[in-house]
Amino acid sequence: MTTIDSGATVAVSVQNVVMDYGGSTLALANISLNLAEGEFLSIVGPSGCGKSTILKLISGLERASHGTVMVRGQRVEDTPPGIGFMFQRDALLPWATVSENIALGLECAGYPVDRRPARIQELLHLTGLDRFADFRPRALSGGMRQRVALGRILAYAPEIYLMDEPFGALDAQTKLSMGQELLNIWSTSRKAIIFVTHDIEEAVSLSDRVIVMTGRPGRIKAEYRIDLERPRDARQVRKLARFHELVDAIWDDITSEKVSH
Amino acid sequence: MTTVYSAVESVVVLGEAKRRAPGATHAERQRRERWRVRIGRIVFAFFLIAAWELGSRYLFDPFWAGQPSLVVERVIEMIRNGDLWWHLLPTVGQALTGLMLSLVVGVPLGILFASNKTVEKVIEPFFLGLYSVPRVALAPLFILWFGIGPSSKVVMAFSLVVFIVILNTYEGIRGVDRDLIDMLRAMRASRLYILRKVILPGIVPWIFASVRVGVGLALVGSVVGELLGSNRGLGWYIENAAARIDVIGVFSGLVVLMIVGMLLNEIVKAVEMRLLRERYAP
Repeated sequence: MTTIDSGATVAVSVQNVVMDYGGSTLALANISLNLAEGEFLSIVGPSGCGKSTILKLISGLERASHGTVMVRGQRVEDTPPGIGFMFQRDALLPWATVSENIALGLECAGYPVDRRPARIQELLHLTGLDRFADFRPRALSGGMRQRVALGRILAYAPEIYLMDEPFGALDAQTKLSMGQELLNIWSTSRKAIIFVTHDIEEAVSLSDRVIVMTGRPGRIKAEYRIDLERPRDARQVRKLARFHELVDAIWDDITSEKVSH
Repeated sequence: MTTVYSAVESVVVLGEAKRRAPGATHAERQRRERWRVRIGRIVFAFFLIAAWELGSRYLFDPFWAGQPSLVVERVIEMIRNGDLWWHLLPTVGQALTGLMLSLVVGVPLGILFASNKTVEKVIEPFFLGLYSVPRVALAPLFILWFGIGPSSKVVMAFSLVVFIVILNTYEGIRGVDRDLIDMLRAMRASRLYILRKVILPGIVPWIFASVRVGVGLALVGSVVGELLGSNRGLGWYIENAAARIDVIGVFSGLVVLMIVGMLLNEIVKAVEMRLLRERYAP
């Protein structure tokens, strides 16, 4: 189930993880998955299936009840270094400007103080926020706020990105363009990404591999290798026959689960 | 900043302006509203004072009920002979010192309670017990401990305000967005860094809220201390006038206290607006 390209090194390994919050059902029931270095992996599933919990376990924000979580060969005890966590809610400091919010990533990474201003300018440019450096989050649209959050994560320069429905609250158009930008950034840096979403088309258009989860208790139902050519255009890829085959297959997996309940 | 924001604002304003007053801009309507409030306040104060003045002339004896014109006369006399400053300075000084002390002690304690569950649970019943003791009843004790000088009044003001500061700080921290803390934790930020970047800026509006409530309470503490034992201050002035059945004197002291309270409140509000509007406006 957790196959990985031969020769690729493992960035994240989750083995037989159980998460029990003490309720009547388990949040996660025996989850195993691997993420290769440089891989773009998506996890799709209905809300409440525990896909966000997997990210919290990898980032060390929560501890598994059973099983092991390893990041780059190290068992996760505390938050491992080099993890970039992006939340569905932008988690921007409301009282800080765009620049100050992005600077948090540099400060946490211990980036040299004298080179910070220049790096902030680069990141503002990369995320298309040049003109908004001194804005506060409340003056920005949802899409722009997520750009700031992206800029902050890029500033931290992580080796592994954990993205929890980062574009889930955005309108369809903004979502598509943010997806494209993420693809562009990813294709130049090739960092490993786990991207959690409930949008199947988004998952297929972005990823190398899609894991399908089912809810309550959360378990892995199926796994798809997305053999669409790269580099991809987030819009053009949606016109391919293979794209629709994959999306349909994943839809069938998720709906058949609901019927059987 | 201005370009996009004002564009958004003007769209909203256009819609509203059409509905309410044709031709009036947002700023103009705000200015009118400010003036309406100012004039309303003056009219309200005028009627209140007029009713008191007329009442004490025709309905009841000013010897017991006071009379605004006599109070004004007395206050002017107090300004002339320097009595006003002599009594005002210690009262306000003690109140403000007590308020500052409450912030210096209360904020760290609030942070401690909010960040350590065990400490919070151990202390909570004692804290609430102490909170429910009427602090005014402790005034004689404070005077025994700290003498009839200013320090007993500072402690009195402190004992009234510090609880408000602790509770507000505690609530403020509990209201801080967990995602902000998780976001920094995921980047391996230290606890001190999280305190500096998220917790402290997050509770600034709550600290201002405690100052707003605390100013009045601190003044109460200072005056109560003076009522019970002192040789100076507005509290002493009122107590002394009452002992001589000088009702005009009592009212004069009360009016001065009221004006001081209102002024301090306005100052706090103005400072708060200045500091918070930029960063904390909703």
